[in-house]
Amino acid sequence: MKKSFQSIALLSIVLMSVVACSKSSTTTVLPVTALLVKDIPADTVVGLSAQGVPITNGKYTFYSLEKNALVSNTDSASTKWDIAFMSTRILTNGGTSGVGQGGAFVYTGLFDDLKTIPTDSVFKTDNAPTAYAITTGSGKGWYTYDQLTSLITPLAGRVLVIRTASGKYAKMEITCYYKGGVTLPASATDMEKLTKQRYYTFRFAYQPNGTKTF
Amino acid sequence: MQMQGDSVVVTANRQERKLSNVTVPVTIVNAKQLQQNGSLRLTDILKEQPGLTITSGFGAGVQMQGLNPDYTIILINGEPLVGRTAGVLDLNRIALGNIKKIEIVKGPSSSLYGSEAMAGVINIITDASTAIPIQASLRYGTYETIDAGVNNAIATKQAFYQGFYNYYSTNGYSIRPNSSSRVTTPIERLTVNQQLKYNLTANTNISLGVRITDEKIQNDISVSNGGTTITSNGKEHNTDQNFNATLNHRFSNNLKTSFRSYLTDYNSKQDLMTVSGTPYYDLLNHLFKRVENQTDWNVNKQLNILFGAGAAWEGVKSTRYDSEKVRKNNAIQYGFTQMEWMPNNKFILIGGLRFDKNETYASAFSPKVSTLYKINAKNKIKFSVGQGFKAPDFRQMYLDFTNAAAGGYSVFGTAQAQQVINQLASLGQIGSLYDNFYQLKVLKPEYSTGMHFSWDYEPSQNTYLSVQLFRNDISNLIQVQQVGSYISGAQIFSYLNIGRAFTQGVEVEVKQKIAKHIILSGGYQYLETGDKDQIAQIKAGHVYTRDANGYSKLLSLNDYVGLPNNSKHKAQLKINYYNSIGCFANFRMLYRGKWAVNNTNGNEVYDIGDDFAKGYISLHASVGKDWANGFSLQLGCDNITNYIDAGNLPNLSGRTFFGTIKYQISKK
Repeated sequence: MKKSFQSIALLSIVLMSVVACSKSSTTTVLPVTALLVKDIPADTVVGLSAQGVPITNGKYTFYSLEKNALVSNTDSASTKWDIAFMSTRILTNGGTSGVGQGGAFVYTGLFDDLKTIPTDSVFKTDNAPTAYAITTGSGKGWYTYDQLTSLITPLAGRVLVIRTASGKYAKMEITCYYKGGVTLPASATDMEKLTKQRYYTFRFAYQPNGTKTF
Repeated sequence: MQMQGDSVVVTANRQERKLSNVTVPVTIVNAKQLQQNGSLRLTDILKEQPGLTITSGFGAGVQMQGLNPDYTIILINGEPLVGRTAGVLDLNRIALGNIKKIEIVKGPSSSLYGSEAMAGVINIITDASTAIPIQASLRYGTYETIDAGVNNAIATKQAFYQGFYNYYSTNGYSIRPNSSSRVTTPIERLTVNQQLKYNLTANTNISLGVRITDEKIQNDISVSNGGTTITSNGKEHNTDQNFNATLNHRFSNNLKTSFRSYLTDYNSKQDLMTVSGTPYYDLLNHLFKRVENQTDWNVNKQLNILFGAGAAWEGVKSTRYDSEKVRKNNAIQYGFTQMEWMPNNKFILIGGLRFDKNETYASAFSPKVSTLYKINAKNKIKFSVGQGFKAPDFRQMYLDFTNAAAGGYSVFGTAQAQQVINQLASLGQIGSLYDNFYQLKVLKPEYSTGMHFSWDYEPSQNTYLSVQLFRNDISNLIQVQQVGSYISGAQIFSYLNIGRAFTQGVEVEVKQKIAKHIILSGGYQYLETGDKDQIAQIKAGHVYTRDANGYSKLLSLNDYVGLPNNSKHKAQLKINYYNSIGCFANFRMLYRGKWAVNNTNGNEVYDIGDDFAKGYISLHASVGKDWANGFSLQLGCDNITNYIDAGNLPNLSGRTFFGTIKYQISKK
């Protein structure tokens, strides 16, 4: 399982200091690098019961955006992690989910176009089991589920704006929910659809200086 | 030999008219073409017609000018067939053994035929005139496909009787070797058709008809789950019964009337039994009864008037409704009229309208105007504009379906959605309700306005060219929408009149006699479709798609492909040979361009980044000979290159060979 997880800074879209306008002329704006993270397992299917029901371990995968690294499950009650994944559900480290200052909202638009988090944005916090900062459900948060093909597709033009456990800001775009970073074709077998799902590929940009600009 | 011939058309005007005097686009497929192509079922011949596409999913349906199978009415001798699954009437049900011709009218024809005749009308006319005392045929082909048919007819001065019996069976085929799951499942079909016509007086006749199709489909499914294989035995039994009785009376050469009564009952039962013993059972019964009168009055040489009225009762029972025991009913009363004005032999103008009053959904008013102008002996132009409608179907009103296997989502028909969901809410099962839940109301019919323009050019007896332009604007489209969700997050759907769409395109048909016995014919269709609301969203910059890296970008209108399952390009090319001693041969090439099948890149619209089925060419050929003593022999091969795309074209079987032997005693 661990082997399949890779974190590579595949591309470094250096967002030029477009934000260095008059307002922030006194602060040094560090260029924020967008990182690509591939195949983060999110409670993947490990087998099937005799009745054919998929079996999973039922555990979240914790991730630190600050360190760009996985966080051990034993640290779930700490501020070491910023987001956690289990199937299509994404937690932020705050509210009912964690001890941090985490929160999030889903922004409609393009990743590159989101250069400053709008001042009137409202960060939501997790309130399990009914409401999560990143809304669950097909077509409501970050993905759609196709009843006919049983495939999960991340919605295009959605940016998850994250407040990390330590109150810093990050933006992320999920590009794929299947192993290898490519959504399976509709013709894939049911078995493939079961076992290759729940692997997140996303890009994110983390702003360590505490500002809302990227 | 004239390319188009001047056969008689009955569907376009609900009256017999010469093809050259018909004001709307009509294609006639005659018995000879059916025989020489080796067509067995209605799908076989429709897929070779320009502008028509056979769709798969819930049986083989026909898409006309970019509109789904729901929008084309299928008639046998003018009476509608019922029993659609998810809007699709499986055209494989219809055996072609005793068919005299098939008339295909394109464009909204609700002004004469009411609901469903929104894209067009396909009318199958059985042979009731040519009295072949006996005809028998036997065909055998790949996949152990057998088709055996017998026709018999007796004609006296007073009475005419025709019987038709057809047996069809196939063992189906599987694309994956050693798999028990078959793409085409083993089928056994029996069709019996009896027609009796009796002349009471010189001016009065009655006719009685019965047609029964009974099919049994074996559908065994094996699903492998991590080494465990679950086998299910599926059995499907469908029965389609049609009865009609007609009284025709001619008051004078200028005035005649007919009383028609019709009853059809479609019954479909599916049983699925897994080895663990979990039974799954699905039942659909559709009953349709109708009485109708039509009177044709030739006022004078220039003016012809037709008027009619009727009443229909319709009811459906299904396991997918709240109770399979309770029949959901609708009653329809309607009236129609049409006026045909021919001030001279160059110009024809037709105006018609129909009003349908329905018990369970809003009424519909369908006008149509069409015109024909013969510029000269070689050129004629036609123009028509009309409104079509499709009534909400029973499923859209009464479906009560929860899919326990796929996440527990539910679909409720509008007639009871609010009531059922409110009840669930009072039991604390509803998680959230969307705004559109409160907008649910009695469904209105879907409407379309269709425009057709065509130019026919016949410079000589050896050449025919036709160019047609069409545009259909559809509003009030009934679409499935999520209206809420359960506590568990499972979705709840219902139906709303929300969509607006269009289809437009060009069709070109050419026929050319290239040698003494050889005719070359070709057809091409260019089609554009689109959802108007999606286009507005794209224009407003609210729709995103993904680039090659999977990153979001704005979707440009150029990358939008319109409605799914529609090919932009389609073409046919056929060579027919027929000589004076009864030898015939033909070669047909059918092309269908790529079409969008699945939305894969995270937006709700179909664009160039989505999943497409590959465009393909299929080749078909057949040769045969008719002997003067009544024997005929035919050999053929369908899908010569063995093109297979199991996922997107389950109806296209691999290469098949067949041989047919036929004997008929002709009336001298």
